[in-house]
Amino acid sequence: MQTTLGRTLHALGLTLVILFTMFPFYWMVTSSLKDQSDLLASPPVWLFVPTLEHYGEIFADQKVVNAVINSLIVSVSTTALAVLLGAPAAYALARFEFRGKQDLWFWFISNRMISPIVLALPVYLLALQVKLLDTHLVLILIYLTFNLPIVVWICTDQFRSIPKELEQAARLDGANQWIIFRKIYVPLGIPGIAVSAIFSFIFSWNELLYALVLTRRTVQTAPVIATSFMSGYELPWGKIMATGTVIVLPVIIFALLVSKHMVRGLTMGATK
Amino acid sequence: MSFLRLDNVVKRYGDHKVINGVSFGAEKGEFVVFVGPSGCGKSTLLRMIAGLEDITEGDVSIDGAVVTNVEPAARQVAMVFQSYALYPHMSVFENMAFGLRMVKTPQPEIERRVKEAARILQIEPLLERKPRQLSGGQRQRVAIGRAIVRNPKLFLFDEPLSNLDAELRTQMRVEIARLHRDIGATMVYVTHDQIEAMTLADRIVVLRAGLVEQVGAPTELYDNPANTFVAGFIGSPKMNFLTGTVTAAETGRVMVANANFVGGSLVIRPRRGGVPKVGDMVIVGLRPEHLDLASPTPALQLRTDFAENLGGATQIYTQPKDGEMITIVAQGRPKITPGETLTVGVAPEYVYLFDERGVAV
Ligand SMILES: Nc1ncnc2c1ncn2[C@@H]1O[C@H](COP(=O)(O)OP(=O)(O)OP(=O)(O)O)[C@@H](O)[C@H]1O
Ligand SMILES: [Mg+2]
Repeated sequence: MQTTLGRTLHALGLTLVILFTMFPFYWMVTSSLKDQSDLLASPPVWLFVPTLEHYGEIFADQKVVNAVINSLIVSVSTTALAVLLGAPAAYALARFEFRGKQDLWFWFISNRMISPIVLALPVYLLALQVKLLDTHLVLILIYLTFNLPIVVWICTDQFRSIPKELEQAARLDGANQWIIFRKIYVPLGIPGIAVSAIFSFIFSWNELLYALVLTRRTVQTAPVIATSFMSGYELPWGKIMATGTVIVLPVIIFALLVSKHMVRGLTMGATK
Repeated sequence: MSFLRLDNVVKRYGDHKVINGVSFGAEKGEFVVFVGPSGCGKSTLLRMIAGLEDITEGDVSIDGAVVTNVEPAARQVAMVFQSYALYPHMSVFENMAFGLRMVKTPQPEIERRVKEAARILQIEPLLERKPRQLSGGQRQRVAIGRAIVRNPKLFLFDEPLSNLDAELRTQMRVEIARLHRDIGATMVYVTHDQIEAMTLADRIVVLRAGLVEQVGAPTELYDNPANTFVAGFIGSPKMNFLTGTVTAAETGRVMVANANFVGGSLVIRPRRGGVPKVGDMVIVGLRPEHLDLASPTPALQLRTDFAENLGGATQIYTQPKDGEMITIVAQGRPKITPGETLTVGVAPEYVYLFDERGVAV
């Protein structure tokens, strides 16, 4: 009795939370499939004949296609670099003692304490000086400064949980540091690497502030384009919603692909 | 010169001295066991031989070459960890092949050697499994297999059986003994289980707080312990100790007074020929298995506390008039009533004598 009631309440609570968090998403996707009159109808219509008109429109728009490509280039490069650079750094932090380790550790998160807007102007001036404005590289570099600490933090934690004896056994087996990292730490640290890659990808994909500040025409990213629709006299809701849906999709696909690596218990059987 | 030599080896963590100058040699093919209480530095010493731990002072040499500053892999030693330390993401085959792959062994040779080791350890049907799909005993076999395939100069075992249950432990102990007999390699084995030490070792090194207390064959340590620490550590159940005062002494005959002795004193023949002074405090050591309930010449009178029936033998715990509990191991199932006073005999050659500081005399 008690448990049935408890379970019902539990389910009800969960449903509410899901409805609440998913509703904007639902609204965005359905809106992107409505035609202009359904969109502006008041009260809102729940049943309508779906249309792909807005999608046709945005994919015909070279600007949108380019923006998605730009976003992909920037996010994929950032994520790949963050993992390639961050994972070895995490290994070092997890397993070696060296001078200044604690300071480095703190420094890694300290740059997340500063509000991004504070740095926007200095970064803009810097980019201007080195003539990197409106390039993929400048976005990749600035996103790296945000993502590397996350990758390093998550991976360090993950690597620390790998029994030290494995590394020692491998050393006795004749493996050098690099092989130990590649053959022991990377395969066993995959869950952490996957999580940090997802974070890194989502951040780079959705970032708006620096993308606005540091780009002009050529490398505008998807979020920038989505907001740019709002600048005219009219609000092309359907187009904005369709763009929004297109923007969300790659993140979901990436997260789904990577999430199957986010499993626990990889080190089971190593010890005891 | 010994195959494995430790020369005054010291290990310090900061100011904390963990190994206090250990010197020791093991011959080729010898099975050496390090025993000692928890925290005495057995693992540390073993890991220093392996090269996993820096050596603060002193030298380690293997097969005539000083390896103090040589990389672990180049020392050609293999180690079996207490926690097995199998690579969890690799199959049993790959676990064993890993070391061979590191030295670029050709594939057919790898297969031959892994199969051979698997045959010796009877794990052939498990080669494709992952460690998590194995039982504790099987994991330990794989860990040993990983050591065998590399054909190392020296095997190091760090309490390899302590995670196993009693039955499996006995079985694996026999297998390790057989393995040593079959491949004849030099092995250093760490344990705090003195049965493992007694049964496996050619020579036992007894450690306490980073120092070697005594080195010798198991029977030698049992018969002739250098001090009360070794005497108490080797043998199970533990040796009983009684303190007494010397009332008369001449070469080969020492009379010791203690209230538990029949007639108040006992004549002891010191095994090491020492002659303590009259009036000295001494410690008398008696092994539980040497105390005889049926002896025609009783030596001690003890009040029974309780008895444990082990089936074939009985352990009797008695409370002496002073000092700690005295254990007696009697064969069969003698009738014992708690509170009863027992008269117990002991053959003179089985009485151990130590001076006040615990050093054998
Ligand atoms: N990294 C370290 N830093 C400081 N002290 C250490 C370190 N590693 C070990 N010690 C100390 O060294 C001593 C010996 O440790 P060791 O692991 O060799 O003991 P052991 O004889 O193997 O014990 P056990 O039977 O419990 O395994 C212990 O007192 C331990 O606290
Ligand atoms: Mg230990």
